[in-house]
Amino acid sequence: MDSRLADCGLLPFFVSMLRALTILLVALALAPAAGALETPAVTSPRATVTVIADHDAVAPGQSFRIALRQRLAPGWHTYWTNPGDAGQPPEMRLTLPEGASAGAMQFPAPERIPFGPLMNFGYEGEAVFTIPVNVPADAAPGSSFPIEAQADWLVCERVCIPEEGVFRLDIPVAGTAVPAAPETRALFAAAEAAAPRAAPFTARLGFEGQAGAIEVAGPGIAPGSVRDAFFFPLPWGVIDNAAPQPMTVTDGALRLGLTRGQAEALPAQVDGVIAITDAAGVRGAYLVAAAPGAVPVAGAAPRGLPLWQALAFAALGGLILNLMPCVFPILAMKAVSLAKLSGAARGGVRAHAASYTAGVVLSFLALGGLLVGLRAAGGVAGWGFQFTSPVFVAAMAWLMLAVGLNLSGVYAVGGPVSAGGSLAGKGGHAGSFFTGMLAVLVATPCTAPFMAAAIGAALGMGAIEALAVFAAMGLGMALPYAALGVAPGLARLLPRPGLWMDRLKQGLAFPMYGAAAWLVWVLSEQAGSPAVLAALAGAVLIGFAAWAIGVAQSSGGRVGRIAGAAAVVAALALLPGLSAAPRPAQAAVEAGEPWSEARLAALRAEGRPVFVNMTAAWCITCKVNERVALATEGTRQIFADRNIALLTGDWTRGDPAITAVLRAHQRDGVPLYLFYPAGGGAPRILPQILTEGIIRETINATGSS
Amino acid sequence: MTISMITRRGALGAAGLLALAPGAASANPVIGAAAPDFSLPDQDGDTRRLSDFRGKVVVLEWTNHECPYVRKHYGSNNMQGLQRLVAERGGVWLTIASSPAGEQGYVTGAQAKELTASRNAAPAAVLLDHSSVAARAYRASVTPHMFVISADGMLRYMGGIDSIRSTRPADVATAEPFFRNAFVEVAEGRAVTRASTPPYGCVIKYVGA
Repeated sequence: MDSRLADCGLLPFFVSMLRALTILLVALALAPAAGALETPAVTSPRATVTVIADHDAVAPGQSFRIALRQRLAPGWHTYWTNPGDAGQPPEMRLTLPEGASAGAMQFPAPERIPFGPLMNFGYEGEAVFTIPVNVPADAAPGSSFPIEAQADWLVCERVCIPEEGVFRLDIPVAGTAVPAAPETRALFAAAEAAAPRAAPFTARLGFEGQAGAIEVAGPGIAPGSVRDAFFFPLPWGVIDNAAPQPMTVTDGALRLGLTRGQAEALPAQVDGVIAITDAAGVRGAYLVAAAPGAVPVAGAAPRGLPLWQALAFAALGGLILNLMPCVFPILAMKAVSLAKLSGAARGGVRAHAASYTAGVVLSFLALGGLLVGLRAAGGVAGWGFQFTSPVFVAAMAWLMLAVGLNLSGVYAVGGPVSAGGSLAGKGGHAGSFFTGMLAVLVATPCTAPFMAAAIGAALGMGAIEALAVFAAMGLGMALPYAALGVAPGLARLLPRPGLWMDRLKQGLAFPMYGAAAWLVWVLSEQAGSPAVLAALAGAVLIGFAAWAIGVAQSSGGRVGRIAGAAAVVAALALLPGLSAAPRPAQAAVEAGEPWSEARLAALRAEGRPVFVNMTAAWCITCKVNERVALATEGTRQIFADRNIALLTGDWTRGDPAITAVLRAHQRDGVPLYLFYPAGGGAPRILPQILTEGIIRETINATGSS
Repeated sequence: MTISMITRRGALGAAGLLALAPGAASANPVIGAAAPDFSLPDQDGDTRRLSDFRGKVVVLEWTNHECPYVRKHYGSNNMQGLQRLVAERGGVWLTIASSPAGEQGYVTGAQAKELTASRNAAPAAVLLDHSSVAARAYRASVTPHMFVISADGMLRYMGGIDSIRSTRPADVATAEPFFRNAFVEVAEGRAVTRASTPPYGCVIKYVGA
């Protein structure tokens, strides 16, 4: 509508024209439509709306679906249950025959539709709202099952127009149900895939003042597996709809920052939909419910530390580094020389302390940045770090063991001590800055253990949190020197270097052994006793390597080093075996047999129908589909009844044979689901968002043809 | 001692880093806080400020006369009845039109006067917010969007005119009148039972949107 119409006083005329037109269209829609599954459309320049059924004929006692189908002109949109800052969801009231019943209208997951500073939640293009309908058991075959639907919907572009329609469907009742034509079934399958699904996720939500967050935890969530996410709450006023939702993804958990909306109080439970776009660009929407509580903290996966604790431990770890035998003597020397300075030079000393601190912190940040960069590269390459993967857990256990053996004095780690000596020798602030960096380098033999622990913790965190942990560690390490710069008198409080430093170092080996023991226990829970055996065999090899290297270091022999390196290589060779170790319980349920072209050909030669599931460990859409659609009792029953073989192709490491299959079906990535009917023929490709209903429909459709 | 100092330092460093994350929110109007002041021309071209009305209960009604939700409340005479109620109780009713030129709901001063006359409406003034300044200050999102400000200039109510989100005039009679209840409570000096409710209506056309 144009404001000029209003200016000329034409608007009332235009509105009454519209009304007349709508009435005419409603009348048209009421005209009987012989045998049609889809009613005549209520049409406006904005929207073409029909009611459609997923069956050509229904059987007594059957449940089927009808849908309100909206095809919208470009630029126009309709609304979700929570329409956002304006608008209204469509409504439909049904008049059904005696004894029949209908369920609630199912809304597809919404899109964000921004409008200036405001945000609406709704649909553009085509939107299909389904309703399940139950046919009474006493419906007579040969009769008709009439449905009258009165629908209202608001369609908006820059202006909003309320529209309405009355639709009538007469569906034949038959002894056997007749599903609709394939295009119509595809429409309903797409609607089912677009609806938010129950998901194996747990959610926590909280606000403090205006700022808050929602954290969703569950299988498959990892930094490499999620590209984008948005939380749509069902109730009004929980969040500021237009505020950005900054995302942090850690292993197993996804956090979205939220801004509080205008509702005075939060409901006891906030229901909503989280839409997650996975690394391959597939969008899935999942139902979540969260009781409002404390604000979920970034990086706090269920088993992890809260960020402030991780930072405190990192700073404490950095502080302890100063007590290591390779750092403390330098600190003590510096302290003595500082204490000798006269008052006049104090100001300069403080500036030097600041430069030194900057050198230390920047060195740590560089290490942290390197780690974050490597992890991002890994995520891009498709091998996202999985703290939950048995390979990672075993490798961490061995690392902790190696660190402990180092602290115990079995072998030493050579530090590049001389490298930065000339730089640090420079005068002025640059000299202090490089002294700080040198301190980090010199300390490497002793800091490595703590760095390893910090790296382990940081792997499970977001980039910013990981960098914060490294910065905290650097601050902790620089603190004593900085404190001495500010108050040189503190030097008197320092203990003298001595044997206690070695004893302390050796004592610290035991927490490392403890960590290794704990990780082996984690492994036993994850992957069972074969994995524990492999991990312990690797531990023996690591122990041997440490001893051999230690002997070589004290006697200068070459043989020990070679033997040690060989043992480390042997231990690493055990790792791939670990990843293949069977995971107990639920994973086996939907796994089926491993996919190969040969196995597929053999099964088809036997005349068996085959369902192929191409998946990957880091693919969140795949993992959710497996839980909610493939591993269900209903699907297993269908597979058993029809003697369908399930072949699973694991693309986690980019198997080229699977890549070829994906390419052959015009896909760049997983998931890919193929159903090969019995008796040959081309496979049916299933949608990337899978439900039990879609699997059943596909199998039944091919079975009946 | 030392350790607690380190912890605080670490936490400060982290806070600094986390502050880099995007998502700083724009201010929302807050119930119980001072209502944002504004200065807008009325239908006669006179400048009106919210602060001019200190000492009286002020009602703000965002409008777009072509919006079906606004028509529901003018067509059923609900809005005019509320305007008279507010006037009788000594309150000031300000109708604000925030549509910029070229958008649905845009009115000149003359058109605003004509609409008031033809609809038998009774606002104290119609304010022209053609650059959406007041709409932004109140985060007004729809028409009609209602606000009640007490005599001391504090925001007491924001939200919908009533409880039934529809364009059907027949629903006015059965809806819970959120705005009316809130106004009466403010006028009688009582606490507002429901101070923030879901507004419903046509989205407000902001300048540049």
